Formats: sequence, C-alpha cells, structure tokens
Amino acid sequence: MSASTIAPAGEGEPTLRYTGVSKTPRRGGVVIPIPSDISSMMQTLVGESDQISNSPTTVFNTERMAFLAELSRKLLAHQEARALPDVVSFAYWSRRANLMRLADRLAGTGALRMGLGLSFHICPANVPINFAFSMAFGLLSGNTCVIRLPTKHSPTLDIMVEVIDKLLKEKSYLSLASELMLVRFDRNDKLSRFWMSVADGRIVWGGDATVDYMRGMPCRPRSREVAFPDRYSITAVDPDAVLALSNDDLQALCLRLFNDMYLMDQAACSSPQLLVWVGELGEAEEAKARLWPEIERLATSRYMPQAVQIMDKYVQACRHAMSNDQVISIERHSNQLYRIELSGVSERQDVCRGYYGTIHEVTLDTLEPLVPIITEKYQTLTYFGLDPAQIREFIIKHRLRGIDRVVPIGKALDMDIVWDGYEIISALSRYVVVD
Amino acid sequence: MSESDALIDVQQWPVFEWPQSIKRPRLLDELRRLTDLHYGACEQYGTLLDKMLGRNTANELEELPFLPVRLFKHERLLSVPAADVVKTMTSSGTSGQSVSQIFLDKQTAALQVKVLSRIMGDFFGRQRLPLLVIDCRATVADRYRFSARTAGILGFSMFGREIEYALDDDMSFNEERVRRFVEKYPDQDILVFGFTFIVWRHLVQILEAERKVLPLDRGVLIHGGGWKQLQSQAVGASEFKRRLQSVAQIRRVHNYYGMVEQTGSIFMECEAGYLHTSARIDPIAVSGSAQLSWPFAIE
Repeated sequence: MSASTIAPAGEGEPTLRYTGVSKTPRRGGVVIPIPSDISSMMQTLVGESDQISNSPTTVFNTERMAFLAELSRKLLAHQEARALPDVVSFAYWSRRANLMRLADRLAGTGALRMGLGLSFHICPANVPINFAFSMAFGLLSGNTCVIRLPTKHSPTLDIMVEVIDKLLKEKSYLSLASELMLVRFDRNDKLSRFWMSVADGRIVWGGDATVDYMRGMPCRPRSREVAFPDRYSITAVDPDAVLALSNDDLQALCLRLFNDMYLMDQAACSSPQLLVWVGELGEAEEAKARLWPEIERLATSRYMPQAVQIMDKYVQACRHAMSNDQVISIERHSNQLYRIELSGVSERQDVCRGYYGTIHEVTLDTLEPLVPIITEKYQTLTYFGLDPAQIREFIIKHRLRGIDRVVPIGKALDMDIVWDGYEIISALSRYVVVD
Repeated sequence: MSESDALIDVQQWPVFEWPQSIKRPRLLDELRRLTDLHYGACEQYGTLLDKMLGRNTANELEELPFLPVRLFKHERLLSVPAADVVKTMTSSGTSGQSVSQIFLDKQTAALQVKVLSRIMGDFFGRQRLPLLVIDCRATVADRYRFSARTAGILGFSMFGREIEYALDDDMSFNEERVRRFVEKYPDQDILVFGFTFIVWRHLVQILEAERKVLPLDRGVLIHGGGWKQLQSQAVGASEFKRRLQSVAQIRRVHNYYGMVEQTGSIFMECEAGYLHTSARIDPIAVSGSAQLSWPFAIE
C-alpha cells in the first residue's frame, strides 16, 4: 500500500512525489464496531459495514486520487451517466488533471497534513450530485467517509452508486471498501446519534432545519463540523453590457444564465433568486427586453417541469403578489419563466425565493443599497458586465458578513473544494507540526 | 345585469341539459361578473389581479384569472364583512399541515345547498329517502366548524329523512342499530352516504372481518372524498364495488368528486362510471409545457 507525501518546498516546482510507505497493520481499535441494531436499520449500498476504520491518511492520498480519477473516467465512458449534466460536471471536476492541480496548490508548504479520522456526511436531496463532491472532499482530506444519501431516488444517485460500487470491487481499490461507505436510512434519531458519536468530522448539507437537528446530537469533543445551511444567492448585471452584446454573445450569456437558474430546478443554494440590474431604469428595461425572451426560448426547449412543479410555482407567485408590498408586477412568460418585479430590496429579501424558473428583479443605480440587507445568509454573487475587482473592494469596504463566492454568470453551480466560505480540505484535516 | 338579477338568473339554469355552445358563454359572463365583484370586495384578490393575473378582459373561459385553491391555506380570503360569515369550511387537503379556510355568507351557503339539491334531484328524484350515514354523530356535532366530512354529511342529510348513523362516536360499527334501521324500511330505497375511506375501513373491512352480510340490497351508496389518510390501502373502483356488494348487497354505487372550496357543485358519477359536470361548472385543460386542469365553479 502506498501513501503520498508532499515534496518539501525548495526542491524546484512543487509537485507530488509518491513513495511506498507500508501502512500500519489493522488493530482492533481502528475498526468501528457498528451494533447490530444500528446496522439492521440502515441500508448499506456500498462498502463493508463490519470493516469501517477511522484511521486517517494524508491529504490527497495517491490511492484515493487514483480512485477518484478512475471514477471520473468510468462515468465519462458510461452512456447513461453522460446524459446527466450534474454527473458530467462531477466527472469533469474529478478528472486526474484537476485533482493534481488541487494537490499542487496545497503542496507548497511541505507541512504534514492528516485527515481527522472518520467523516459522516448528511447529503442533500435538492442537489443529488453533491454527495459525490462531499465524498471526494472527505476522501481527499484523508478521512474514512460514511455518506448518508438522500432517501429520494434519482437517476443521478442510482447511476453514481452503481458505478462506485463496481469500481470498489476492483482489486486495486479493495482496501477502500473499509474507508468508504454509502448508506441510506430515513431520518432516525438513534442512527444519527450513533454516527454523530463516532464521527471526527460532520458534514451536514440540507438546510437550517437539518443543521439544527444534527447540532442537537452529542459528538466527540474534538470533532469538527462543516455545515451547509440555507443560503441566498443573487446575480448582478450591467444592462449596458447586455445591450452591447452581439446576438451570438447574447445567446451565449443566456445559456449560462439559463444553466444557473434551471439546472437544479433553482433549488441549489447557489441558484440565483434575485437579479439586480445595476444601472439606469431605461437601459434596464431595454436589456430585459433582449434577455428574457431568449431565456424563455431556452427554457421552453430545454426545461421540462412536472405538472406539480408548475402548480407550486404558480401558487408561490400568487403568494408573492398578495403578501409582498414591494412586488410591482409579476410577468409570466408562459409557464417556463416568472419574473417578479420589485420596487426595492428589503431586510427580508432572503425569503423572496422561487423555484423552477422564478426570478425576482430589481433595478438599482449601484450595489450600495444591497449593503444593509446582505447578511451571513448570502452565498453566491454571480455577475455580468461588472468588474470583479470592484466587487471585491465592495465586500471589503462595507465589511460584509455575507457573500462567499463572486463568480461570472454561468458558474453558479460549479462546486469546488472552496465552498460556502470553507476551504474544505483544511476544515477536515489536521496540520501536523514536525520540527 | 344587476347582482340580484344575476342571482335569480343563475338559479334558473338547468342542471345538465345545456350544450357547451350555450353553457360556455353563460359561464363566462357570470364568472366575469364574479371576478369583478371579488376584485372590488377582496383586497388580496384585487392585489393579485392588479399585480399578476390582469383585470377582467377574458373572451374565453380559458383566459379568466384562475385562483389556486391552495391560497385558501395561506390567506384569509373574504369578500364580505367578517360579521356576515355564517360558516367556515376547513380542509386539511391531501398534503401538508396547513388548513384551508373557506368563509361562507348566508347567500353563498344557500346557493350551495340549492345547486347540490338540484344535482341530487336529477340523479335520485325529488323524493326524500331514508338516509343511513356511514359515520358518527360526533362528526357533525359542531355546526360552526365545517370539515369536508361535516359539510358532506350535512349537505346530503337534506336529501334524507329519518337519518341514522351507522357508527358510534368512537367510530365502531353499530350492527344492531343498522339492522333495526334497515328492517324499518323493507320496501323502499335507502340512501347510504359516507366518505370513501370511512366506508371502506368502518363498514366493508369490519363486515369482512366478522364474516357478516347486511341486507342493504335496496341501498344506494353515495361516497366521495377519496382515500386521504388511507392512501396505502386504496383500491380501485371495481374492487370497491365488488367487495361492498358482497358484504352489504349494495349494487348501486355513485362516487362523487367535490371540493370544500366549492361545496355543492359536485361531479356525480353515473351508472356508466363517468363523473358529470353540471351547467355551473366546467373543467378546463390549460396547455403549457405540462397540462394542468382545474374546475371552475360559480356557486
């Protein structure tokens, strides 16, 4: 068995160097005994529940990187998987070159970094693929991962589980079977309590209620938490920049905005909820007249909501019209796109949400009116036609408590190892000082 | 047409006879009148039309602003002063914890009774029949809080005489009381009314378990409301009828579909198994990227 070490600084370019290191033989202490009443209540989809160990590895362990890279290859070669944009986005992120790039970025210091031990992940149903990112983050941080999948089935989950299971049974990855487990169980205090009590890292996706619930469970004194509660994300657009676009470039922009808005039914924490036009009212109206018909056209050809989703969307829009005084009008572009025009923004802005293609819109002279309403709930700010350096200054100058990501329109859903304000590898591993 | 003229007019509409070519323009006129009425009388409804659905310019039924019934769960929608409310209908619906509240004034309540009685009369004649309710008396005890079950029982009670309840207040089946009731009317039809899942759970399954058969061969069962909390045990219409007949000898069974938001305007199932729309109600399929349909009612 091999483990990776990071080349010390000063030996030329920071690169990964692989050396054969023999692993300590297994002792009783490292295998987590799972009581039979616990294991009988959960469904183990992948991994061996009687072999789960809490021995960490170094971060960016070679074997694990090889596993993830091979998973990427298998997914990209899998016909059904290739048809799912979210699976493809994970596979693309997990390809060897990208993992090497991430490892290199960390390699510079030469410090020894080890995982915490066992990480327990509660994964979200609104964005099924996030379990795979969560798994990759946990493994690359050097932890054994126990992943609780959402109980709701989806093509994404079914295919991912099938491919991971098959890959783990290959000879080269057999040892990972005691370091990676995918499980499913309905919300159950006893099971959650058990896993929380053995976890060294707790990764909780799934909103405020789930985060609260999990925080009610006793956990190990040294355990760490990476929590992803509810967030609110916005997009800022300069109308003049939209008006200056050629038709081709406009279409390209619209496709990116469409992806941000519609790919996850607008239910991801980074899906934009509010579009701020930063400029003059007249230009903003002209820009809307260019932008929205194209978005509607894309949504009509590419987005297929279910009847129940259309009904939810309609009911929600009615409720916004009836209960929010700042709503000027709600324009419906068929059933595909609802636009909720606001006269201004308020402190309660983060409850102005919509799904399945419902965007709140407001026109402001500058970003300044957003300052008093941006709380720690704000996550992603996507932009078009604005200078990211100025947005950076804006965040510093106004000492904002929120906004963890500023990315161009089209990248709202691009998951990465820095997310929600965490650098996740650091959050889930230990610096070991060796002097 | 003034409001009182319109109300007199609408009460003279036939129950079923109108062809679509007559029914649609009449419904459109009346629904436009009602849309204007509520626009002026209900603040939230007015806001909804102003901000989202548009004013009353519909030239077709399909263009009318439609109100999702789920809004009754979130808003107190009133077009009359609160003091004029004589009944509050409530429904938990099939999903979620929040409860719909539908407020009725005297006039609306009376119209609902009227339309229900005309639909019933068309199906079962004007003569009032002995009525056996498959439910307990406690369900209708509080006359000011109306669940869908209360409303259904009270609504259909008007078409019966000598009303008897088949269940005790703890929902257990009282066989002796039912047998006595049936023996009292040996030579005539008996109206039997109950909610689908109540009939199933507290009549059919009980009689099956006790291997008993009731002599209700002169019974006409009207049931509605679907399976609600018993969704996992739901059976199809033919199995429901077959097993009901074997334990109670009832051959004539009519399902109906009704909504607490428009009590009275029900869709009644005929002998051939079709649900019928009356002159005052028309389901509309609206096309979009998905097909949605919903009933309109004016009562």
